[in-house]
Amino acid sequence: MRKPPYPTVLKPYGTALLELAREREDVVCLSGDLTRQCEVDLFRDEIPERFVNTGMAEANMMGIAGAMARRGLVPFVHTFGVFATRRPFDQIVNAIAYPRLPVRIVGFMPGVSSPGGPSHQAIEDVAIMRALPGMTVIDMADAVEIRQVVRQIVDLPGPVYLRLKRGEIPVVFGDDHEFSLRHAQVLQSGGDVAIIANGMMLSSALSAAEALRDAGVGVTLVNAPVVKPFDTSTVEAVARDVRAVVTAENHTVVGGLGSAVAETLAEAGLARPLRRVGIGDTFAEGAKSAPHLFRKYGLSTQDIVDAAWDALGRGDAPPVATAASADSGEYAPV
Amino acid sequence: MTTSEEGMRRFADRLRLRAVRMVAPQGFGYLGQALSSAETFAALYTCAYRPDHDRLVVSPGHYIIAAYAAAVEVGQLPEEVLATYGQDDSDLEAIGTETSPGVDLTCGSLSQGLSAGLGFALADRIKGEAGRRVFVIASDGELEEGQTWEAAMFAAHHGLGAVTVLLDANDSQVDGPVSQITTLEPIAAKWEAFGWHAADVDGHDVARLAHALGEAALDPRPSIVVARTSTRHGLACLPEDADGHFIKLPPELADAAVRELESRLA
Repeated sequence: MRKPPYPTVLKPYGTALLELAREREDVVCLSGDLTRQCEVDLFRDEIPERFVNTGMAEANMMGIAGAMARRGLVPFVHTFGVFATRRPFDQIVNAIAYPRLPVRIVGFMPGVSSPGGPSHQAIEDVAIMRALPGMTVIDMADAVEIRQVVRQIVDLPGPVYLRLKRGEIPVVFGDDHEFSLRHAQVLQSGGDVAIIANGMMLSSALSAAEALRDAGVGVTLVNAPVVKPFDTSTVEAVARDVRAVVTAENHTVVGGLGSAVAETLAEAGLARPLRRVGIGDTFAEGAKSAPHLFRKYGLSTQDIVDAAWDALGRGDAPPVATAASADSGEYAPV
Repeated sequence: MTTSEEGMRRFADRLRLRAVRMVAPQGFGYLGQALSSAETFAALYTCAYRPDHDRLVVSPGHYIIAAYAAAVEVGQLPEEVLATYGQDDSDLEAIGTETSPGVDLTCGSLSQGLSAGLGFALADRIKGEAGRRVFVIASDGELEEGQTWEAAMFAAHHGLGAVTVLLDANDSQVDGPVSQITTLEPIAAKWEAFGWHAADVDGHDVARLAHALGEAALDPRPSIVVARTSTRHGLACLPEDADGHFIKLPPELADAAVRELESRLA
């Protein structure tokens, strides 16, 4: 595990998909007019015969992808998360999810990582994809995971929604990190509070855990990129050994990781105070920069620290998390 | 009249008869769709569609009743399964689904079929399997959905000449005549403007339909055959105000319909 500020890399997903497609002739790539932004210009330039740009026509794109999958191809479909899930939801339901076809829907620019306002901020994509029967839903934290996930999902039965940060991708994990589709990873163990995070909030959770440990709090930290099917056994096991649970996701607190954890705790009969760090029941807004939105909508490292402090019933002032500063080409959570 | 034309007419009337018998036990159902598209299915199955080779998409799942009947007609499906149409636990759901036999794909949520047809054609191209044709049964009401036009633009841009749409223009949707709800005309000119080869024919004239399908096969562009039809065609016993989307067929009317069709087929 690295320490912030994290180094970043460009196009780890696009590189991994191209490397896979060189070996696998059944892999095809669809783009909805956001080819470079979704890193698949690499695919287009090297394998144009298996690249299809459908233009800004997401409904048609999903229908085409479903039919291609019926013919034995493995379509990877690319656009921003908002356009991948909101516009073509009925097409995903009927052309992909209901027939359980192996279409891989890749949605970039999650949550408030876009300062482009509500039209461009995918804040409920995990919730609506998770509600679809048979849909695998994954929210990736870093480049090390992204490099591994592409090969792990190519032969997975049924459809997948893969949620990826756009642009500079932090390298949070060490090279020895092994991404798992089946198991959430317990990154550290402590006896007081469990923090369960994924996606862009994992690095925030790591920093929050450090601040809490420095204040004498025992923290168990879990990385849970696969929101569905959810690894309930790991979550249940770690929750048994702590007094409180905090979740952290770059998404509305309705229907995503926090909900999955809440359902797990309730069904296991585990009465633990739970705090869900994420976007409240609100749309966000356009801004100059994403970090401003992470702070404004309660997605900062300090928000996780405060949530843990509150869940533990501490009446005193919570510790103050120190944010690492990031130079150009580096990433640090706010 | 040639023998094949007479054969197609009889194919269409047998399809109507099977559809009446499928709907009769429930007393209502998607009979109008079978009545309007009977000649279209007859011409398609007689003159163009090769079930083991080509792809068939029935975009409006409500039309699956006609595809079931046609599949029996060409020996793809045993006749006795038609008795399970729309019944509990049947594979032959009244609005087509993944369990529907006889077609490569059908869609209950309207206007999605053409995109799927394009996906089939693109997959054939990528896999190097030239020569397959892709037929998409569609309906005029579906033209109200935007996805139709996304797909229409895409097909022409990518030169998907393997695709032929058979559009049942029966001027019927749930709330009434399509023409009273949204102006679709000029339908053929719209598709031509989108880069398609379009034919506009009497959809109950099997000779015109067969000719149009032949022309579609030769044209390098994606093709559409706009078939002008009526949801009451071929059953004189139906009342003039029958709701074409969902026809009521009480027992005495069902009996009259069977007698009418059996006498014509005798």
